Amino acid sequence: MSAHQGRSSPPESSRARWTVRVVGITAAVATAATVWLALWVTPPDVTQGDLVRLVYLHPGVAWVALYLAFGLAAGASLLYLWPRTRSLFWDRLAAAAVEVGVVFNVCTLVSGSIWGKPTWGVWWAWDARLTSTAVLLVLFLGYLALRRVPAEPEVRARRSAFLALFAAVDVPIVHFSVLWWRTLHQGATVLNPDLTPTIHGSMAWTLLLGFVALTLVFVWMLLVRYRIGVLEDRLGTGELDMALRQRQAEGAPDDEDEAA
Amino acid sequence: MGYVVAGYVIVLSLLFLYAGQLVWRKRRLTRAVERFELLAAPGDEPGAGPAGSR
Amino acid sequence: MWRDTVLVAGKDLRIEARSRVGLSQVVPFGVVALVLFAFALGPERAPMAKGAPGLFWVAVLFCTVLAVQRSVAVESVDGARDGLRLSGLDPAGLFLGKAAAVAAQLVVLEVVLGAGAVLLYGARIEVPWLIVTSGLLGAIGLAATGTLYGALSAGLRVRETLLPFLLLPIAAPVLLAGTRIWQAAMAGGVPSDGTQWLRLLVVFDAVYVALGVVVFGPLHESA
Repeated sequence: MSAHQGRSSPPESSRARWTVRVVGITAAVATAATVWLALWVTPPDVTQGDLVRLVYLHPGVAWVALYLAFGLAAGASLLYLWPRTRSLFWDRLAAAAVEVGVVFNVCTLVSGSIWGKPTWGVWWAWDARLTSTAVLLVLFLGYLALRRVPAEPEVRARRSAFLALFAAVDVPIVHFSVLWWRTLHQGATVLNPDLTPTIHGSMAWTLLLGFVALTLVFVWMLLVRYRIGVLEDRLGTGELDMALRQRQAEGAPDDEDEAA
Repeated sequence: MGYVVAGYVIVLSLLFLYAGQLVWRKRRLTRAVERFELLAAPGDEPGAGPAGSR
Repeated sequence: MWRDTVLVAGKDLRIEARSRVGLSQVVPFGVVALVLFAFALGPERAPMAKGAPGLFWVAVLFCTVLAVQRSVAVESVDGARDGLRLSGLDPAGLFLGKAAAVAAQLVVLEVVLGAGAVLLYGARIEVPWLIVTSGLLGAIGLAATGTLYGALSAGLRVRETLLPFLLLPIAAPVLLAGTRIWQAAMAGGVPSDGTQWLRLLVVFDAVYVALGVVVFGPLHESA
């Protein structure tokens, strides 16, 4: 009588598990290589000195958080909302992307802040990119908070998807608002966040490796988190099934007792 | 250089800790689902469940 | 759609007129906020006058959350939402109606709080039409986003804490634009800056009203 949600997912195939493991190991190796290159092999920059080493990390996590995770979450949410492609797969993917995205978002803000302090002298600057990143973090957290509310998977999926849609609309607006806010405001100290060094040689490769490594890390985390989502849903509906069945089982013997 | 090291340590730790949490969660859940499947399988027919206690 | 809009807006406003929650609770809350801000910024007039635009809009934002909560709560009693869904009302009209009602209340609120800001903070307004236009456009934007998020969180027991958390980041551009426009409209401001920000508000309003009209149907069904 598990007709409640006959959608029980099959156990993870060994091939899937193997894929995840391979991705994980590649990600770990790539990250280790990046760190080694970044901290020891590459030379310090002409203008920024050793601080440039953070540039191998920060744009990578930023790209993952702001474009990869957020884009995936928004896209998957849209696919869920579109009737022809509606499937809880997209919902679970979006949720996984958001949760992993939060972690990368925090990494972005932290690495950016740590780079900013010696460069600009401040831990934080109200420029468009930083502010949009912070707003995106809050929106992500809101999404996760909304998902915690107990509900049927389809209802929860719909609600979350709408929220993701609204957030996706909002982030560009916030970005442009803050951009205007800075440039139109007379007398603002115009901090130049684009102190990108002239990248060449080993630095360029390290930067690229950094992007690749962090993308792989994201993919691995996404796969694992997705699987967790499947398992959680299975457990949730399964427990309900069990409770229903127990109720039924308790019901039948009662009649016999009463008849006797 | 101190800033750089601090940056790397913090970011990598965050990623590492989260990764660890994911692995732990997945293992815990897989075990829970396995246990649960074991329980659900034999007691499938209504009436064959636990003795009718009220 | 327009007929339903007027119908729903009229209903919400009539409920408000009879219960007077807005007048007796939301507006005083806004005024209290203004007073507290004054305490926070210290006794000198200069920093208060300088901060007046921002403080005004922050107070309006907080009150928006209350107004939206109320707008959603009106439908949460006794299966009223199911009744609405079955009534055959055009969902777009439902959205526009509820948003319009909230916007109307916000406009009244803004008048009171605006007067408060001028009186309490000594803000000196030189270009009143900027203030009025920004007030209207800001009210529309806040009402539209508020109604959308209200529908998203309707029926949830955690709505009280979740709604502000969801709504305020989305409303941030209105705060930015509104503050800048006020600053442009005050003594020592540059009015042309203000018109640029008005354009942002128009875009914001257009986007969220359009989004609401399109999305409110399915959104309302699922909540």
